[in-house]
Amino acid sequence: MSANSVNISVETTCENQIREIGYDGTELYQPPPTLSESLAKCAARIDFSKTSLDDLKKEEKSATEAEESRDKDGNQFQESLWPWDAVRNKLKDAFTEICVLSDVISIAKDKRYLVLDPLLEDGDDTKPIVQVYSRKKAISQAAQVLLGGAERLRNAHSEQRSRNISDFHIELLRLRQNWRLKKVSNAIIGDLSYRTAGSKFNMSGTFEVTKAEELADDDQLQGQNSSSSSSSTANGMPIKAASALRVIVPAELQGVAYIKVITQKDQEDLCSAQVNLMGHGPNITAQVGVWQKTLEFAQNVLFCKELFAQLAREAIQLQAPIPHVVIGNQIRATLLPNIQLIISLCHSTTFDSSQPAPINDHDHVLEHSLHQLLREVHYKNSHHPFPHPSSAPLGPSKKRMMAGPMAADRETLMDMTKSQTILEQIIAQAQHIFMRKRTQYVLDTLARDVKDPQIVSHWNAMNSPTMSCVKINIVTHGYDAIGRTSLVIHVKERSLKCICRDGRVMRLSYEPQELRDLILCQINSHQISCLVSLARCMAWTVLSNSNHLGIGKVEPLGNASSCLLASPNGDRMIAVQIRCDPQIDVKVYIAKSPRQDFFPNPLVPEKLWENLGGSFKEVRFDKIEGKSFLNKMEFLMASLTSNTA
Amino acid sequence: MGVTVLQPYPLPEGKSGAYIIDHLSKRLLSLGATHAGQFLVDCETFISTPQHGGAPSRAVHVLHNSEYPASTFSIIDNGTGKQVSLVADNIFDLLMLKMTATFASKKQTKIESRGARFEYGDFVIKLGSVTMMEHFKGILIEIEYKSCVILSYCWEMIREMLQGFLGMQVPKDYPNYFTTQTIMNAMGQQQLLHAKHNDLYEPMDTVKQYLEQFTNYRKHVNVHVGGAAGVSVQPIHMPPSSIVGVGVGMGRP
Repeated sequence: MSANSVNISVETTCENQIREIGYDGTELYQPPPTLSESLAKCAARIDFSKTSLDDLKKEEKSATEAEESRDKDGNQFQESLWPWDAVRNKLKDAFTEICVLSDVISIAKDKRYLVLDPLLEDGDDTKPIVQVYSRKKAISQAAQVLLGGAERLRNAHSEQRSRNISDFHIELLRLRQNWRLKKVSNAIIGDLSYRTAGSKFNMSGTFEVTKAEELADDDQLQGQNSSSSSSSTANGMPIKAASALRVIVPAELQGVAYIKVITQKDQEDLCSAQVNLMGHGPNITAQVGVWQKTLEFAQNVLFCKELFAQLAREAIQLQAPIPHVVIGNQIRATLLPNIQLIISLCHSTTFDSSQPAPINDHDHVLEHSLHQLLREVHYKNSHHPFPHPSSAPLGPSKKRMMAGPMAADRETLMDMTKSQTILEQIIAQAQHIFMRKRTQYVLDTLARDVKDPQIVSHWNAMNSPTMSCVKINIVTHGYDAIGRTSLVIHVKERSLKCICRDGRVMRLSYEPQELRDLILCQINSHQISCLVSLARCMAWTVLSNSNHLGIGKVEPLGNASSCLLASPNGDRMIAVQIRCDPQIDVKVYIAKSPRQDFFPNPLVPEKLWENLGGSFKEVRFDKIEGKSFLNKMEFLMASLTSNTA
Repeated sequence: MGVTVLQPYPLPEGKSGAYIIDHLSKRLLSLGATHAGQFLVDCETFISTPQHGGAPSRAVHVLHNSEYPASTFSIIDNGTGKQVSLVADNIFDLLMLKMTATFASKKQTKIESRGARFEYGDFVIKLGSVTMMEHFKGILIEIEYKSCVILSYCWEMIREMLQGFLGMQVPKDYPNYFTTQTIMNAMGQQQLLHAKHNDLYEPMDTVKQYLEQFTNYRKHVNVHVGGAAGVSVQPIHMPPSSIVGVGVGMGRP
């Protein structure tokens, strides 16, 4: 403590063992063992088998222990006992047991209170026969159990076969193979709606499945048959056995429904259609039971109701030039002036066995189209195109998603947003069917009436619901190689587009008269153009021809066409004029050169002027021999060709 | 979508752009064209950040055309004249926003052509005034012939139409974009590009023509400002009309 002394601290080197190294590099040292721990360590090294040294060591230990314990406080002393406690207890127990053992042996040796008897060893293994007997008994017991079960099954099976009524569970299995069922508390509920197929209709299509009542006697059997197989009487076939299960459909879905589509022109039926999902006739196999037909009818009713509800909703929302009318179960839409489309939902709940046969002249096409259109709506509701990449929004169609990278222009994008409702589509299809029928009628009547050039029409086999094409060839029989006039007509919903061979495109409206006029004009020009070609074949010179002659009376239809021909050596001329008013009217004139009736007069003295032709005389064309105009012209030209060179 | 030709219209002295546009619109309307909305073509340029190794900086041009509203067009220019083009969905703009680490946007050079759109039979004529950051730069006329997709079939008709209502001479040769152009390829050699007047026309060609014209307008800015170093090396051919037209006073009937 003097100022000159230096404090020296003596420390042990921190040579403790590292217990753990943390993740950030810190080292956790094991704390140095406390004195009691070191003592316990030494005590554990004691081997109690060596007695002589034990006492020595014990004394040493106890001496050190006593020393150390004196240095420490009471707690420490207490703790140093704990490692020894176990050792002491074990020794004590061992000593107790040894004492007990020695007591027992000494008592047993006395033979007065305790006797030691040798244990009887087990005899040899049981004889093999005993084993056999025991196993045989065990196996026969097992056989009894199995035979009892088999007997029961056989009884149940033979009982089943003897009965006519099929088992409820088999029927349920068949039902479950065709319809969706689920068990709700105690009842079995089924679903016959189109909801899982994409329909969003509100009406529920749940039906309930129950066991059919037990049949007491034959009368009740009959009654049961007639009530549970109600819809099967439509077939007229008696069902021998009622099924073991009964389906109960909701009241609004009972019965039979169909959608009737009629095209009406001023109260007359032009064509009609029927939508009916059922096959006609006894298609229902008897194996599936009577409930199949009930459920199918009910599903049909639901489908027809949904279809009609959708059509009615659209009819009210759409803005048409002539508004659609919805009355009760009928929708009226106007296709063309005076032509109406009537769609009605016919739902009959009474079952008369004389169900009217389906109308024989109905049009399956409209029926099928309505069905397909609603199914298409269902499909679009349930199937959404998957976006690529998958992080893109789910909703736009694939075409819209590709519109960006493909640089689609504004019109294309606008077209993508347009969509047609079911009613618009079916109206378009009905209009097209009507236009097609009308066009066919016009062409057929024209082909029947006009015999001279023949009108041949070829309709395309493939067409869309809203457009058809027909190719018309106008040929003269026998002169096909000379010339043919062709045109293509595109029949659309409310108009026609006619494309001629020379590239002219004409758009016609729905009036049939316009098509008729067009064909007549085409016949007109056909005659003249074939005549020109024929004249070339006959070596006659075509002096002039014209398709639009502006002379004479004004024609009510089209323009007159004409042609002027000269014979090979120039002494004859033929002039032909064809008018269309509205029958094809042909006028033919011939002239001779030199004129027969030229007489020199003071005004025109020279004889050479007789070579100037010009006085045409009309030919009575209808009296000329020949099957057709070209035939007659050929004969005429042949007769007028003179032999002189 | 048909063949589209861009024709820059030289501004005569003393007349403002609005007056010219007005004048041309009146001529078109009296010809019988119908006004059909507005159009807008705009271009934004991104320059790549300078990298180690002295690689030349690349420019990415992002263009939109109101005629193809669902698409965004993008062209990469790597300085030697070679261009890589892409047509993508509109979401491409958002992608470019994420690329600010590599590309810096140069807002000063955002350039657009905006104006009225006229439809005249099979033709679509657009009179656009080109503006860059609110400064008027010039007039670009775009004419599209919807029925044809190959330039060589209809160039004469387009030329006749242009001469008819513009009242000025249009050169007989194909526009510069469609003829062969020389570019410097990677090895420093000149290479002739394939002539485009016989190829099928694509919407990308319209956009490339616009980019060419916009670049010219930008270069004029640089020239006028004081010859600041151009951003990228452009093809050697310059469209003759855009330079020549500035100085020539147009004598119009």
